[in-house]
Amino acid sequence: MAVLLTASSSDYSRTMASASADIIAEEDVLIRRAQRSDARAFEALYRVHVDRVYGLCLRMTGNVSEAEDCTQEAFIQAWNKLDRFRGDSAFSTWLHRIAVNAVLGRMRKSKREQDRIQAVADTRPAALETGDTGELRDLAQAVDRLPEGARHVFVLHAVYGYSHDEAASMLGIATGTSKAQLHRARKLLAQQLEEQGFEA
Amino acid sequence: MTDTFDDKLDRAARQLAPEISPERDLWPGIAEAIEPAPRRSRWTPMLAQAAAVVLLVGASSGITYVLTAGSGVPDTQISPELVFEQASFGNDYNLGPEFQQARNGLRAELDAEMARLSPEARENIQANLDLIHQAIVEVNAALAEQPDNVVLQQKLLRAYREELTLLRRVGGLTRNVMTRNDI
Repeated sequence: MAVLLTASSSDYSRTMASASADIIAEEDVLIRRAQRSDARAFEALYRVHVDRVYGLCLRMTGNVSEAEDCTQEAFIQAWNKLDRFRGDSAFSTWLHRIAVNAVLGRMRKSKREQDRIQAVADTRPAALETGDTGELRDLAQAVDRLPEGARHVFVLHAVYGYSHDEAASMLGIATGTSKAQLHRARKLLAQQLEEQGFEA
Repeated sequence: MTDTFDDKLDRAARQLAPEISPERDLWPGIAEAIEPAPRRSRWTPMLAQAAAVVLLVGASSGITYVLTAGSGVPDTQISPELVFEQASFGNDYNLGPEFQQARNGLRAELDAEMARLSPEARENIQANLDLIHQAIVEVNAALAEQPDNVVLQQKLLRAYREELTLLRRVGGLTRNVMTRNDI
């Protein structure tokens, strides 16, 4: 039985590894085709990655309309910069960097225009659109209410698993600042969530 | 206490969905933005520039001829005849043959009329023509960079119109020679 389980587990691992390699190889083909201005290949890449990019934008902006705009902007920029993608990092990571830049650019623009989207009456809060339920929804709402810097670091580090170095590089801040912002985010979240009896 | 809460928080944060489907399909907006512009002949901006250059050289020659003809300076017979290349800029405007024909006629009559004018009047006309030609050259250069820019197309159209208006005034001509479809 143990032998069978071991064999089965091993087969499963090999199958998964093979499937993963197939997906990566297929993605490489799509990227090369898109680099030759094949919009259909780029659409296929969009379909694969849009949920993760949109999720990142939504959690970083805390706003549905902003997240939609940032997602579109990110993919448009990705298309324009595709010839510069050399595969040094995963395509998804490269795409996330562009998405983070799109978010930061949009926020800077919003500040300049004194037109923060959160202040607009008809916008929908992100936490209601994320699919999170129960206490996770409470957490998502609390994250939405964090100050911008703390929210960005918390989302990249705690939700998407980027290291402080990676998050800092994406956000254009020092690693120490990223750590400080995470500390600040945790403190603010604690204040909000402990009052609600948060029990993760 | 804080560590415990941080642990809980990190655990919960990792459970937040990293992938969220947008409520609407965002691809059409992206597709529209990345859709390649309609293929334009790379000759188009070059022809537009060539037309402007021919226009400028031709007009300058004509003006020089007119100025020297009545000034007592020994005549140097420079043909004022202008040759226009078929040119287009953008999708809606073309320098059509009717425009070229009308303009050639106006130029020929202008030369005769200019010879009868005073030096001051000729100088004034030349200055105006130079201004218009300079505008045509500059707008054509800008159009070479942005061939589909409607504002630039309209500016170029306006410059050609102003030039023809000036030619008509000088020659006292009343022909209706230019329509939007011609240019």
